[in-house]
Amino acid sequence: MSTPPRDAAAEHSFGNGWFVPVPSCRFATFRVALAFTTLVFHVPKFNGLLASYAASAFHVPPAFAWLPILTPAAAAVLALLQYAAAAGLLLGLAVPPCGWFLAGLGFYVMLLDPEHYSHNAHFHVTLLALLGCSQDGLSLARLVRERAAAARCAAWPERLARLQVGIVFFYAAFDKVFSPFWGLEGTRLGALRMADHGLGFGLLQRLNRAVMRTAPAALSVATIAVEFFLAAAAVFRPFWRAGLVVGFMFVAYLEFLVAPGLFTWDMLAAGILFLPAGDGGWQVFHDSRCAACRRRLTLLSWLDWLRRCRYVVRGDASDDCPGIALVSPRGRPVSGFEAVRVLPAILAGPTFIVMALSRFGGGYLAARIASEWDDLPYVLLLAYLALWMPGVARYLGRPLHAALGAHARAPRNLDPPSSPG
Amino acid sequence: MSPLTTGTSGWRRRGAAAFIALWLSVQVLVPLLQKFEPPHFQYRWARYSWGMFSAIGSTYEVRLFRTRGDGGAEPVPEVGHYVRGYRSPDPMRMRTVYWSEAEALDRFSRLLSFIARDRHDGYTYVASIRWTRVPPGDLPALTEIRVHAAP
Repeated sequence: MSTPPRDAAAEHSFGNGWFVPVPSCRFATFRVALAFTTLVFHVPKFNGLLASYAASAFHVPPAFAWLPILTPAAAAVLALLQYAAAAGLLLGLAVPPCGWFLAGLGFYVMLLDPEHYSHNAHFHVTLLALLGCSQDGLSLARLVRERAAAARCAAWPERLARLQVGIVFFYAAFDKVFSPFWGLEGTRLGALRMADHGLGFGLLQRLNRAVMRTAPAALSVATIAVEFFLAAAAVFRPFWRAGLVVGFMFVAYLEFLVAPGLFTWDMLAAGILFLPAGDGGWQVFHDSRCAACRRRLTLLSWLDWLRRCRYVVRGDASDDCPGIALVSPRGRPVSGFEAVRVLPAILAGPTFIVMALSRFGGGYLAARIASEWDDLPYVLLLAYLALWMPGVARYLGRPLHAALGAHARAPRNLDPPSSPG
Repeated sequence: MSPLTTGTSGWRRRGAAAFIALWLSVQVLVPLLQKFEPPHFQYRWARYSWGMFSAIGSTYEVRLFRTRGDGGAEPVPEVGHYVRGYRSPDPMRMRTVYWSEAEALDRFSRLLSFIARDRHDGYTYVASIRWTRVPPGDLPALTEIRVHAAP
């Protein structure tokens, strides 16, 4: 396992300048996350719209008279091409044409009939168009390899995507200021439709509805304020850290307490663009004589798409390997159960894929097998949050430690010699 | 561009700068002009303007059927052929989320005209629309659109 050098210059340029080189892995991780939601949600939905449109004899006039009307044969071909393009984005093959094709087709479908339009879809196809600007050049296979840490690309596509997030939040807030439903009084906010869903969130959902009925003005003003803050946070780098926390809570609120939708997942994917990358900020200590350490490092290097980890051979000569041990970018040591707890936050790309898979895969299974599958993302989230409850480490620490592999007390004959740290 | 290339230079840089300027102009100006349409510049909720969750929308029930003389409501034949997923004469629950109530009425008016033209069978085609939640202020709770199909 080689040790990628820490590249401080990359983080100095993070957020500054349009044409400076930045680590390619950040935009590539964002692309993979967005491609995943495209494949499991956007493409099936838009293929359904294409099929319905082509199968209907009656159509309202499209937004522009010159738009070609869809035939059933063309709809079938476009449906296949959509899947191919989404797969291309996921695998990192021919990314610009795939991104522009999906974006162009998305706008075409929305312009064909106003019933096809939704803000979620509009935001998604806008992000797909920004993927069309991609210059990261990292395939999925290269992204999971360690070499990806060295790849650099121009900063402007990711900077443009961050500004796009700011523009969306700004106009979302701006619209609410003038909207008769929201404004400073929120008088008609009680009519906002909310979905009943989410295991264990029933109480919070009822509380949210009660607040909406009893203090609509406060809720309206708070929503507007949060959205204006998120707009500013997306544009000004000093606010990024706070923006990520507030943004995560806000979109989680929308997903769990208002109505689930693609917007939450697109915003979570866009959040990756605000994370440091390629800096090796987290030091991961390992014992090169320990087989479990080597397995763990191999797995970690596959999952560390943002290249946040730097692998350091343990310096002490003790025989016993104490297990997983990290040092945060601020120099705080984290080990054992606590280290396992923070890993999903460091491995943002794969964590997103797991959560999105549980959300959309759960929805798929709920529609076909049993509605309980809809609760899968909430179960996962609650399980993860439970890891942070006081006292849990006492019960889960030892089994987790055992599950992560027994550690060699002495070098075996086949083990390579320890290298100096 | 190779993934190991650092930065952008020459004409690609100028092209990228022009694209960035164009993109930002469109993203800033189009939603603004959609919300405050000239020449009156009065606020309105509009599509393509990032008004997330701003317009809450109305829910309504639509019954599509046809009648002749004093006869009762009959189902519209092959209604799924005209719009996939529609049924008749059972009510269909719908929602105006991203379009206005006027657009919803216009859609059904056009649909009935299309069906009447297609079938020209002397029936009167009817869409009975009952607003079930957040009835629009300037519309009655029940709206009925009738189109006679000339034989």
